[in-house]
Amino acid sequence: MAIAARKTLPALAHVELVGSTVRERLRTAEDSEVVSAFLSGEERAFSELVERYQTRLLNFIYRTIGDREKAEDLVQEVFIRVYRHLHRFDRSKKFSTWVYTIASNLAKNELRNRSRNPLVLFQTITKNWQDEERPLQFEDPGNRPDDLFRKRDIREKVEEAVGQLPEHHRNVFVLRELEGKSYEEIAEITHTNLGTVKSRLNRARNSFAEIIGPWLG
Amino acid sequence: MTGVLVTRFLFVGSILTPSFPRKRESMLAISGCDESGERAGSRWIPAFAGMTISGLPAWPVDWPGTIIDAARYPYSMRCSEFKDLHCSFVDDTLAGVELVRMQRHIAECADCARLDACVRRSLMLVRNLPPIEPSADFAFRLDARLRECRLSQASVAGGRFRTVAAIGAIASLIMLGYVAETMRVADQRHALPEIVLPPAVAIATPPDTTPVPSIVASVSAGMPIWPAALLVEQGGLQTVSYTQPR
Repeated sequence: MAIAARKTLPALAHVELVGSTVRERLRTAEDSEVVSAFLSGEERAFSELVERYQTRLLNFIYRTIGDREKAEDLVQEVFIRVYRHLHRFDRSKKFSTWVYTIASNLAKNELRNRSRNPLVLFQTITKNWQDEERPLQFEDPGNRPDDLFRKRDIREKVEEAVGQLPEHHRNVFVLRELEGKSYEEIAEITHTNLGTVKSRLNRARNSFAEIIGPWLG
Repeated sequence: MTGVLVTRFLFVGSILTPSFPRKRESMLAISGCDESGERAGSRWIPAFAGMTISGLPAWPVDWPGTIIDAARYPYSMRCSEFKDLHCSFVDDTLAGVELVRMQRHIAECADCARLDACVRRSLMLVRNLPPIEPSADFAFRLDARLRECRLSQASVAGGRFRTVAAIGAIASLIMLGYVAETMRVADQRHALPEIVLPPAVAIATPPDTTPVPSIVASVSAGMPIWPAALLVEQGGLQTVSYTQPR
């Protein structure tokens, strides 16, 4: 395995390289190469993976479960699992799909746990957000106050509308519309077939448009 | 049954007689299309729900017997079909012909056009949501958790090694014991039976010192007598005794 990694990314295996050079190489490398570098003992490669995926995963999980704090915890859990089990990752597949699968499963578990505890719901969380806790800086400070208010209002409505979608529709919807995943990737991540993905996405889009429609004017 | 017969009659009739009685207004209203096309030269073809003819474009069909102006609407479609394909239409993954049909349908059907616009606008809103960034202490917390993870992995690996070593030692001890026991048993099996000898009993017989005539006679060659006498003494008297034949 180590030999293969060296073949893929030869310079990374050499300890004598300057740290900044390694980081630069890692930054420009493909996911698979970074994974190989990590498996061959380059610890900095993991930081690169974290750097690449932390925001994307946070957004994905946050849009799925609607709780920012919990979303951060789950993203950390994703990285811990990746760290522990990266040696088991089938490198013939896409790393991003694998990571999103872990994230999707964790988010699903979280929603399942919540459904057992009805006190915590997506709508409850989003409605109870305090201004200072709001994660999004949607506004451009140069805008007029009424514009800011309107934008914030729309953003809230959009988030609420996403939260109102059924769980399995929301998952597909977020993966497609916010993460830009292909149908095939979504099918792999959600463990469903292509037809189901398309059908769920279609329904999710229509439902979302129905919910948000009145706010579009 | 009657419906099927009527439908077939309409179908056959429309093909055989181009001047088949047409109620274009009502039919177009049924199929959801407006009356605006010219009539001259148009061909009237009835279409049946679910019927597909390979190699021919699909016509808008609402139920059996609907008559559609195929020349005017060769690429049109039903609203339900439009909705089925809408997902791919929004993603722009439809084939050329399908794409044209969808666009035509939007131009013809106000409801579907409204739905399409609404979906596209709402998706634009979602796609333009700004991404949220991890909090300031996210990296710090993750580092701490990763450190813990490394330590636990190391301790697990060390513990595993110790366990394996202990199991190995115990196994080798058991093996040694087994081997020793096996060897002992094998030795016992292959050992010769112990021969118990009867106690030795010494029989004291006084040596006969009388010279034997035969020996004395053999000494005539001039040899000294005493070595022969000693040999006789050692070998026992019986072997060298001679009894004179009577």
